[in-house]
Amino acid sequence: MSVAAAETIEELKARNKELIKEVLEVYPEKTAKRRAKHLGAFEEGKPDCGVKSNIKSIPGVMTIRGCAYAGSKGVVWGPIKDMIHISHGPVGCGQYSWASRRNYYIGTTGVDTFGTMQFTSDFQEKDIVFGGDKKLAKIIDEIQDLFPLNKGISVQSECPIGLIGDDIEAVSKAKSKEYEGKTIVPVRCEGFRGVSQSLGHHIANDSIRDWVFDKQEGKAARFEPSPYDVAIIGDYNIGGDAWSSRILLEEMGLRVVSQWSGDGTIAELEATPRAKLNVLHCYRSMNYISRHMEEKYGIPWIEYNFFGPSKIAESLRKIASHFDDTIKEGAEAVIAKYQPLMDAVIAKYRPRLEGKKVMLYVGGLRPRHVIGAYEDLGMEIIGTGYEFGHNDDYQRTTHYVKDGTLIYDDVTGYEFEKFVEKIQPDLVGSGIKEKYVFQKMGVPFRQMHSWDYSGPYHGYDGFAIFARDMDMAINSPVWKFAKAPWAA
Amino acid sequence: MPQNADNVLDHFNLFRQPEYKEMFENKKKNFENPVPDPELERVREWTKTEEYREKNFAREALTVNPAKACQPLGAVFASLGFEKTIPFVHGSQGCVAYYRSHFSRHFKEPTSCVSSSMTEDAAVFGGLNNMIDGLANTYNMYKPKMISVSTTCMAEVIGDDLNAFIKTSKEKGSVPQEYDVPFAHTPAFVGSHITGYDNVMKGIVEHFWDGKAGTAPKLERVANEKINFIGGFDGYTVGNIREIKRIFNSMGVEYTIFGDNSDVWDTPTDGEFRMYDGGTTLEDAANAIHARATISMQQYCTEKTLPLIANHGQDTVAFNHPIGVNGTDEFLMAISRISGKPISEELTKERGRLVDAIADSAAHIHGKKFAIYGDPDLCLGLTAFLLELGAEPVHVLSTNGGKAWAEKTEKLLASSPFGKDCHVYAGKDLWHMRSLLFTEPVDFLIGNTYGKYLERDTGTPLIRIGFPIFDRHHYHRYPVWGYQGAMNVLVWILDKIFDEIDRNTNVVAKSDYSFDIIR
Amino acid sequence: MASLRQIAFYGKGGIGKSTTSQNTLAALAEMGNKILIVGCDPKADSTRLILHQKAQDTILSLAAEAGSVEDLEIEDVMKIGFNDIRCVESGGPEPGVGCAGRGVITSINFLEENGAYEGVDYVSYDVLGDVVCGGFAMPIRENKAQEIYIVMSGEMMAMYAANNISKGILKYANSGGVRLGGLVCNERQTDKEYELADSLAKKLGTQLIYFVPRDNIVQHAELRRMTVIEFAPESKQAEHYRNLATKVHGNVGNGKIPTPITMDELEDLLMEHGIMKAVDESEIGKSAAELGLAASA
Repeated sequence: MSVAAAETIEELKARNKELIKEVLEVYPEKTAKRRAKHLGAFEEGKPDCGVKSNIKSIPGVMTIRGCAYAGSKGVVWGPIKDMIHISHGPVGCGQYSWASRRNYYIGTTGVDTFGTMQFTSDFQEKDIVFGGDKKLAKIIDEIQDLFPLNKGISVQSECPIGLIGDDIEAVSKAKSKEYEGKTIVPVRCEGFRGVSQSLGHHIANDSIRDWVFDKQEGKAARFEPSPYDVAIIGDYNIGGDAWSSRILLEEMGLRVVSQWSGDGTIAELEATPRAKLNVLHCYRSMNYISRHMEEKYGIPWIEYNFFGPSKIAESLRKIASHFDDTIKEGAEAVIAKYQPLMDAVIAKYRPRLEGKKVMLYVGGLRPRHVIGAYEDLGMEIIGTGYEFGHNDDYQRTTHYVKDGTLIYDDVTGYEFEKFVEKIQPDLVGSGIKEKYVFQKMGVPFRQMHSWDYSGPYHGYDGFAIFARDMDMAINSPVWKFAKAPWAA
Repeated sequence: MPQNADNVLDHFNLFRQPEYKEMFENKKKNFENPVPDPELERVREWTKTEEYREKNFAREALTVNPAKACQPLGAVFASLGFEKTIPFVHGSQGCVAYYRSHFSRHFKEPTSCVSSSMTEDAAVFGGLNNMIDGLANTYNMYKPKMISVSTTCMAEVIGDDLNAFIKTSKEKGSVPQEYDVPFAHTPAFVGSHITGYDNVMKGIVEHFWDGKAGTAPKLERVANEKINFIGGFDGYTVGNIREIKRIFNSMGVEYTIFGDNSDVWDTPTDGEFRMYDGGTTLEDAANAIHARATISMQQYCTEKTLPLIANHGQDTVAFNHPIGVNGTDEFLMAISRISGKPISEELTKERGRLVDAIADSAAHIHGKKFAIYGDPDLCLGLTAFLLELGAEPVHVLSTNGGKAWAEKTEKLLASSPFGKDCHVYAGKDLWHMRSLLFTEPVDFLIGNTYGKYLERDTGTPLIRIGFPIFDRHHYHRYPVWGYQGAMNVLVWILDKIFDEIDRNTNVVAKSDYSFDIIR
Repeated sequence: MASLRQIAFYGKGGIGKSTTSQNTLAALAEMGNKILIVGCDPKADSTRLILHQKAQDTILSLAAEAGSVEDLEIEDVMKIGFNDIRCVESGGPEPGVGCAGRGVITSINFLEENGAYEGVDYVSYDVLGDVVCGGFAMPIRENKAQEIYIVMSGEMMAMYAANNISKGILKYANSGGVRLGGLVCNERQTDKEYELADSLAKKLGTQLIYFVPRDNIVQHAELRRMTVIEFAPESKQAEHYRNLATKVHGNVGNGKIPTPITMDELEDLLMEHGIMKAVDESEIGKSAAELGLAASA
C-alpha cells in the first residue's frame, strides 16, 4: 500500500498509525514514550483529538515553539500601536520580533504610534550584575522626553529580569505616579516561563486586567454607549485581517468600539468593558480576558470564525443572534451582498483546487479555523496540529476535522518532515521555519502565520485573497521543475 | 464592494478603497482618542530639529531601533559553517525559534538549530538534565557529525557550566565519549552577534586543536602551505565564500575555508530537503592548525579567535570586510605574500574591469553624500569603497562598533579628502541616525532592511547593503568581496542613483527635462 | 604558568574565612610565592588585611562606571599589597538586587582574558558562604581552582555549610579536576571542637588540614587592617598561620573527591560528640515557655 494513497478510513488510520510508529523509532526510549502521547489520529465521536498538549517541549528535538515573551510582546501587546513596548533585557528578543508579525496599523510611526519600532533596554553585563531597575526608570524618563505623544508604556520582561529579581512592578508604579497616572504596565513574560507562547498570552491578558482595567474603574466613557457595541477580541490584524472583519460587523449594523489588539489603541482597551458583546476570534490567546470581562462586567463572549464563506455566514448569524432583528436582518443582508462574490471566487478557484490535500501546523486558532475555508474550495485537511494548543483547542478541533485525520501536537522538525515526506500532501501550511524545508521537497507551501506576506485572509474580502494564494502556491509552474528531466 | 474575483485585491490595494478609508477614519475619530492633528504635526516637526537631536543624543539608557543582534545569533551562524553540524543552544527555547526565523527570512532557506528548552525548573536547578536529554535526542534524531553548543542569556545568568555539563552528558551516554561537542559561552548581554560568532569560532578552534576539552591529545602543528580563511558574520556569505574560493583557485593557492556557510544556506529545490550541505569538514577544521597563515575577513568578528590562532604559530592577517579596489588589492597581495604565488592574470584583468567600470560611472557618484550603518567591519569596507568612488560619507554609524572601531574609521576617513566632513558614531542606533539625517541630510543611505523606516521618515533613498535584508530577494547570492563583488556593490549604488534621478525628473510638463535615455 | 596553583577558600559567612585566607596567603608570600587574591564576595572584604584598606575598587563597580569590562585595564583593578600580593575584588551588587553570581563569572573571565594570572605562583579565590548558584561555583569549574579549602568551626551551621560546599565540589569533581584540599578549623572554643572537625573531615573523605587556635591577637591585627603575619610576625599565632601555609603548600595533588553526608548523618555525628542531644520528638515545635525552660540570654 502506497502511503500517499490510502483509500478507506480504516486504511488511512492504519497508515497513520504506521507512520507514527515509524517516526517514533528514531527517538531514545524515554523521548519516544513522551512524544507518542502527542501524536495520533482523530477518532470520530471522541471528545478531543486523543493527544496530550500544553506540555514542556523535549530538549534537543527542534520544537517549533516560541516563548512567553513572544506570546506577550509579539502577540498580545506589540500591536497596541499608541503605546511603547520596551523589550526589557538583552537586545536580541526585541530585534528578532521587530516588525516581523505584520500587525498592520495606521499612524505616524515614531510620533504618535510605535508599532514597527524596537525599544529595548539593551542589557549589558553590568545591568545583570547590579540589577536593571534604575535603568528601567531612566528609560521611562527618556521615553517621556523623546516620545511625548505615547499613550502608555509596557515593560516586556526577557529571561534575565526574573532571574536577577528586578522589581519592575515597583518601578512601573513609581513612574506612573510621577507621570500623573500614566499607564505603565509591567509584564512578567520571561521566556523561560511556561512551555510555549501560550503562557505569555495568559500573562499579558492578566496584565491588561490588573494594570489597564482596574485603573479605569469609575472613569467616564469617551463615547455614548449604543446597544450595538461590540469588541473584536483576538484579531491581530495580520495583513489587515481585523479590518476585513470589522467592515462586516459594521455593515451588519454593529458598532466596533475596540480591536484587540491589531491596530488597537489603549483607549480601545480601556473602552472594552463597556461593550455589549465580545466577539472572540483567537480563543487561545484571549479567552482569559474574555472570561474575566464576563465575570466582572457581565459581558458575554462568543467565538467566531471568519475564514471562508461557510464559516463567515455561520458566525455572522451567531453574532447576530445576540442582538435584535435589525442586526439579524443586517447579517442576512451582508451574507446576501457577498454571496455573488463568493460564488465567483469559488467558481474560479475550486476547479483548480478540488480534492487537493493539505497538512497544517500552526498556532493559536488556525489549525482548526482555516479548515472551513479550505473545504469551501473543495480541499481536504489530512493532518493538523497546534504549536501551543491546550486540550480545549483539541476539543474544539473535533468539530472541524474528519475521522482519521493525523494529529501532531508540538511537532518536532523531524516528525513533520517525515510525515510530509511519506504523505506527500498537495500543500503544507505552516511557518517561516518550515516553509523552505517543504519547498525544497517540492511541496507547495503557504505561511499560515504571516499569510506569506499577503492577506488579509479574514472576512469575505480576505477569502478571495486566500483562494488566490492557495491556487498560486499549488499551481505555480515552478513545482514542475523540481526534478531535472534527466534525473532518475 | 471593492473585492473582485477576476482581479483580487490584497492588502496593497484593498484598504485604499473608499469603504475602508471611511472605516479607518471613523475608527480613529470615535475610538482611538487620537492626538489632535496640529499637536501631531508640531511634534512630528519637532523630531526633525536640532533641539530634538540634542535630546536624542543625550539618551543614556534607552535604545531605539538598534542595528545589532545578540551573541547567540552569531553563534548559530558560526556553527552552521561546519559539515553536518547542528547548533545546540542551551537555554530558553523561544530564542532558537527567533534565530531560525531571522536567518530564514534573510536567506530564504531553512535553518536547523535545536534548543535545550529550559523552563522554570531548570532556572532553579540548572540545566544539566536538559543538556543530557537534549544531546541524546539531537544525536539520535538528526544524526549530525558534530553538535556545537552555545548559550542563551538565561543559562548564562544562572551560571551553567557547559564544559562540565557536556562531560557529564557523555558519561551518561548521551553521545559517544569521542563525539565532537565544541562549546562556547555566548551571553546575550555582552557584545553582539559578531561577538557570538567569535566565541564559537574560538571554541571550535580550541576544541579541535587544543585537545577537545582535555579528552584528546593536543595537536602538534606541522606547518604546511595552506591558508585558512575566516569570513566572519556575513549576510552575503553564500556569494562571498564562493567568490573567495574562486579567487584562491585562480591563484592556485591551497586553502581551507574555516566556517563555510555557502551551501547550507543555498540548497537546491529538487525534491530533497538537505538539512546539511557543504561546510568545513571536521578533518579540515582540525588540520587547519597546520596552515601557514589564517586570514580573517572581518577583524571585529575574530578578535579572540585570531590571537588564539596566532598563539599556535601561524601568521594572521585581519581585514575589515574589504570592498573595492584598494581593499581587494590588499587582500590579494596578502594572499600572494603568504603563499608566494603571484596574483593571477585573470584577477588582474578583473581589477582592470572594475577600474574601468568605476571610470565609466564615477561622475554620477562623485560628491554624493552618504550615510552608512551596519556591523563595524562592513562599515569600514563600504566607507573605503565610497572614498574610492569620490563619494562623501557623512555619517558612519555602528551600534556594535566600539571605541577602537571609531578610531580606525576616523583614520580611514582622514586618509582621503572625501572623508573630511564625516563623523563616526559608535554604539548609536537608528533613532540617532534619524536625527542625523534630518539635521545633516545626505543623498543616500546604505544599510539593512530596517533602513526603510529611515527612508520613509526622512526621504533619504536607501541602498540595501547589510544584514538582515528581508524585503528584497537573493542579494545574499551575490558576492561583495573581490573585484567582482565590488562591481556588484557599484551597480547597486548606481541603480539607486539613476532611479532617483528618473524619479525626480518624470513629471510631465513640469520636470520632464533631464529625463534622459542616455546617462 | 604550568606550575600555577589555583586554590579557593569557601566557608559559611562570619566564620573568619577572609581572615584565615589572608593570613595563610601572607605566610605563603613570605615563603617566596607570588600570589594573586581574587575576592569573589560582593562585600569585597577579601583583601583588606593585605591592602590595609577597606573595600578596594572592585572590577564590577569600575566596569559599571566605565561602561563594560571591555573598557577596563588590568591595572585599574589590581592593587599590590603586603609582600607584593596582588589583589583584585570582584565586587557585586547591593544585597537584594541584581545577580552577584554572574558578577563572579564576569570578573574571572575578565582576569583570565587580560593576563592577570601570568607570572604568579598562586591564585586564591575567596568565595562567599555557600555555593548558592552557578556563578559562585565559577572558581571550582575545570581549569580554575584545583583544591578547595573549607574554613569551618565546631558549630552546627558551619559544619552544615562545609557539607554543602562539599556537595558543590562533588558536582564538578567528576567532570573537572577540582578536589577538596581539606578543612581548616577556626577555633570557636566549642565543645570537643577538634574531634568534631576531625571526624567531619574523615566523613567527607578529606583531612583536617589545620586547627587554628583562637587568639585575640587576630582581632588586634584586624583592627589595624593587617594580617597577623605582618602585625606580629613573631607571635605564636603567626607561627600557626605559617604552619597552615606550609601544609597547604605541601598539599599539592593530595586533594580528594569529597563524600558529602546526609543531614541525618551530620546530626548523628553531632550527637556522637555530644554537641547535639537526641531530641525528644514530643518537644519539637514547643517554645521555651511551653517546655517550662527558663529563657536564657
